[in-house]
Amino acid sequence: MGRIVSSITDGKGFDLLLVGLTMVFLLALAGVPLVYNVVMSFQQVDMFNLSTFSRPFAGFSNYVEVVSQPEFWLIIRNTAIFVFGSIGGQFVFGFALALFFMLKFPFASTIRGLFLVSWVMPGLVVGALWGWILAGDFGVLNAILKGIGLIDNTMFWKSDPSLAIWAVTIANIWLGLAFNMMLLSVGLAGISQDLYEAAELDGANGFQRFSTITLPMMRSTIGAVLALGLIYTLQQFDLFPAITEGGPANSSNVAQYWAWQWSFQLFDFAKGATVSVMMLVFVLFASLVYVWSTRHEVRG
Amino acid sequence: MNRLPAPKLFLVLALGLAALYLFPLYWMYVTSLKGSSEIFANPPTFWPNDPDPSIYPETWARRTMATFLWNSLVIATGVTSLTVLLGTGCAYVLARYRSVWIDIGLFAILMLQVLPASVMITPLYVGFNQLGLLDYPRTAVILAAAGKAIPFYIVLVRATFMSVPRELEEAALVDGNSRWGAFFFIVLPLARNGILVLAILTFMQAFGEYIYSKSIITTQSLQPASVGLSGFLGPNSTDWNGIMAYAAIYVTPIVLVFVILQRRIVAGLTSGALK
Amino acid sequence: MKASRLGLMTGVALATVAMAGAAFAQEDVTITVWSIDGANQVGPSDTFSAEFNEMDNGINVEYRILQFDEIVNETLRAYATGNAPDIVSLDNPDFALFSSRGAFLDITEMAENSDVINTEAYFDGPLNSVMWDGKLYGVPKYTDTIGVFYNKDAFAEAGIENPPQTWAEFEEYARMLAEANEGMYGATISARGNEEGTFQFLPVIQMSGGGYENVNTEGAREWLSMVKGMIDDGVMSQDVLSLGQWDSTGTFNSGNAAMAISGPWEIDRMVEDAEFDWGVTLLPVFGEGDERSSALGGFNLGILSTTEHPEEAFEVLEYFVSQDDRLFPEFGYLPTRGDVELPPSGIAEKDAALEVFQEQLQYAQPRGPHPEWQKISKAIYDAEQAALTGQMTPEEALSQAQATIDTIIN
Repeated sequence: MGRIVSSITDGKGFDLLLVGLTMVFLLALAGVPLVYNVVMSFQQVDMFNLSTFSRPFAGFSNYVEVVSQPEFWLIIRNTAIFVFGSIGGQFVFGFALALFFMLKFPFASTIRGLFLVSWVMPGLVVGALWGWILAGDFGVLNAILKGIGLIDNTMFWKSDPSLAIWAVTIANIWLGLAFNMMLLSVGLAGISQDLYEAAELDGANGFQRFSTITLPMMRSTIGAVLALGLIYTLQQFDLFPAITEGGPANSSNVAQYWAWQWSFQLFDFAKGATVSVMMLVFVLFASLVYVWSTRHEVRG
Repeated sequence: MNRLPAPKLFLVLALGLAALYLFPLYWMYVTSLKGSSEIFANPPTFWPNDPDPSIYPETWARRTMATFLWNSLVIATGVTSLTVLLGTGCAYVLARYRSVWIDIGLFAILMLQVLPASVMITPLYVGFNQLGLLDYPRTAVILAAAGKAIPFYIVLVRATFMSVPRELEEAALVDGNSRWGAFFFIVLPLARNGILVLAILTFMQAFGEYIYSKSIITTQSLQPASVGLSGFLGPNSTDWNGIMAYAAIYVTPIVLVFVILQRRIVAGLTSGALK
Repeated sequence: MKASRLGLMTGVALATVAMAGAAFAQEDVTITVWSIDGANQVGPSDTFSAEFNEMDNGINVEYRILQFDEIVNETLRAYATGNAPDIVSLDNPDFALFSSRGAFLDITEMAENSDVINTEAYFDGPLNSVMWDGKLYGVPKYTDTIGVFYNKDAFAEAGIENPPQTWAEFEEYARMLAEANEGMYGATISARGNEEGTFQFLPVIQMSGGGYENVNTEGAREWLSMVKGMIDDGVMSQDVLSLGQWDSTGTFNSGNAAMAISGPWEIDRMVEDAEFDWGVTLLPVFGEGDERSSALGGFNLGILSTTEHPEEAFEVLEYFVSQDDRLFPEFGYLPTRGDVELPPSGIAEKDAALEVFQEQLQYAQPRGPHPEWQKISKAIYDAEQAALTGQMTPEEALSQAQATIDTIIN
């Protein structure tokens, strides 16, 4: 007994206690629902057995049916556009802004702070706001684009099948840009100025300094930003109901919204769970990338 | 880099970028002040012809926003407390060691939050029901939302702990401090800034929590502002100035707090506290 | 023998007294009612619930507003976990999802013994949607349907005398009325990717000889090509694909569209907002004298089978039904019964519109009932959207929908 107590105050037990408590909490509130979804994807579910675990086994029939839906490949394509478009846009613009704000000029950090405002806005508000901005006939984005002569005809951001997925992606880039910029700024701030000065003395130009110092030093930060970006993009839900509802004809539907539609519009909970389990595979990949990226961290 | 010329030019450029980026916010305020027919004007007006601020008190009263915002506050405070309480220690341990087990732990934490809230809600609802937690709906939402917030918090606070020099902690242990002592009196104070900043960010995120509250809290007087807003966004919404006024009242406090604290937040995030 | 009989009777009497005593000691019964009324504007269920709650009759009513998009899944989940309300109000095609599985209380007998509810007075369409397997599972709350609203001023200006009677005229007039430079579209509809899209498109399928189990009709294909042509030529806004009926009609009210397909729920707002003369006409048909059809909308009320207080819940239901004569004057909804007088409002446009919609109701056909209606509906609105955006030809879109529907039905 005494050994356990002293272990908790002073040894490994202390670490295990801190991690264990949190893990138990997370397992209960995130682990159990996850397992529940996996189990449900192999069962027949209806409103009468929704709250029990013992349901008729369905084998892979849910998976087969989901894959054989006519919209399946369209949704995969859209999910890829949404995820890679969002991450790409957030990362490239975020990185550019982070680099820009590393320059020394008055109020640089204050103005940079203002950008973070988007990140603290509730997703639902952002969705409503962008749904309004992107409206076809009275949307302000069209008015601006027409005003500066970029387009002649009204762009139906929410109703044109070739634009709809991009409309949501644009809103999501706006939402996530600040977060990317901030994390990348943090990484940039950690690079010693001495390195740049030494490189400058050696005659390296801006691009060379960026590719030989900034990028390698930022490797772990970039890995973390991209991995977290993938997870958060796949979780992004609030924008879809507020902007396009996945339409027209699924042309802006993505996996996470489709899963919700199965469960809450078509009331086929098993198929909804099936789609969400398929998404797990994607995130498994992202998590591996993230953990791999932390291997290059240096402490202290 | 600090020898580059024309800082004023950069300032102008920065202001321009910020203005472009924050245009949606501007548009929210402008739309809220327009009359109901001006809203649908084509092309839109960039400044209301006849600004009408009376929409604010009207929306405030009609949509019982005081109650909604109070509930948001309760939920956000609960989520933040729980997250800081559970997340900080875990992040510290995960930052302290470097082993396969830590990798597995991190990996598990990430995997545990991969499913969007929209598919987590059914199992959570069923579970809470069996535990009788649905009778305390705000508590249930706090638990569920904390489950979503903690992994994110751990990942970022862990980075903060990475920047605390290990030597300081080891010196404290040599001086006869227990692990608890070293953690509370040496490591935590050094990581204070980062923790504070992430707590604020967690709070702001929780302030916008929507999906769990929508499904779990069935009594209107206990619902947060996000659910109140969704009541506006039904299929039959043309009350865009009302929606925008509601949204403005909802986000302005967060934005204000943020602008007031932003120097500290940004400093906390960038000046090595978070690395 | 006698003694024992006396004893039995005393026992019965005692038991009766005891039960009465228990009833006295009992707290007020609380009946929960869920509905979408009150979400956007004051509606019947929220008003009547509040009124009933005010009455001192030992029954309290707790009312909860839900969003249209959420009410079915919230009820489903609550039912599955034993937290269901006592009474819920659902859109009529969603009703069969519950009644077919016995999740609604069979009120056939209660209704027969009721002085208030008389099933014979109800119109066939609404009544069908609360029936399953010959049993009554609820009462229709209110009904609605769709027709064509038209801007009389714009018609006069374009020199058009009468509103369109056929789809060909509808298109012809829309093309004449559209003024791209003035932000005026010829017509607006709702082809949104949800139940609203099906609501407006299914009547077209029905009037061309089809139904929800048989969607690939020649008329439906023709209609889709016609609408797509109008969108392509800017006679109709492409945003009809994402606008709901209320938003779509909003553009009509603000003078940005000369015709709008929508229903009687718009009338009150139109009286207020529209700065022009307007009228309503029946939904067009393909050829003159062809079979008419229109959508049957409206909500039903049902008592969930899990209720602990079926009698009290039925009392609440009876109160709601007893207020049916207030539906139209106060809320602009059409009653589902033929025995309710609709007094003229004194607003000429409103009264004229009402008359048209009452006629239109005779042609209104229900959606379903089918326990998997939501999936059928999705197949239908997906096909409409795919054809109108040009992702598929009407033929491809409708035959794909037909294939999906076949697997659901069989």
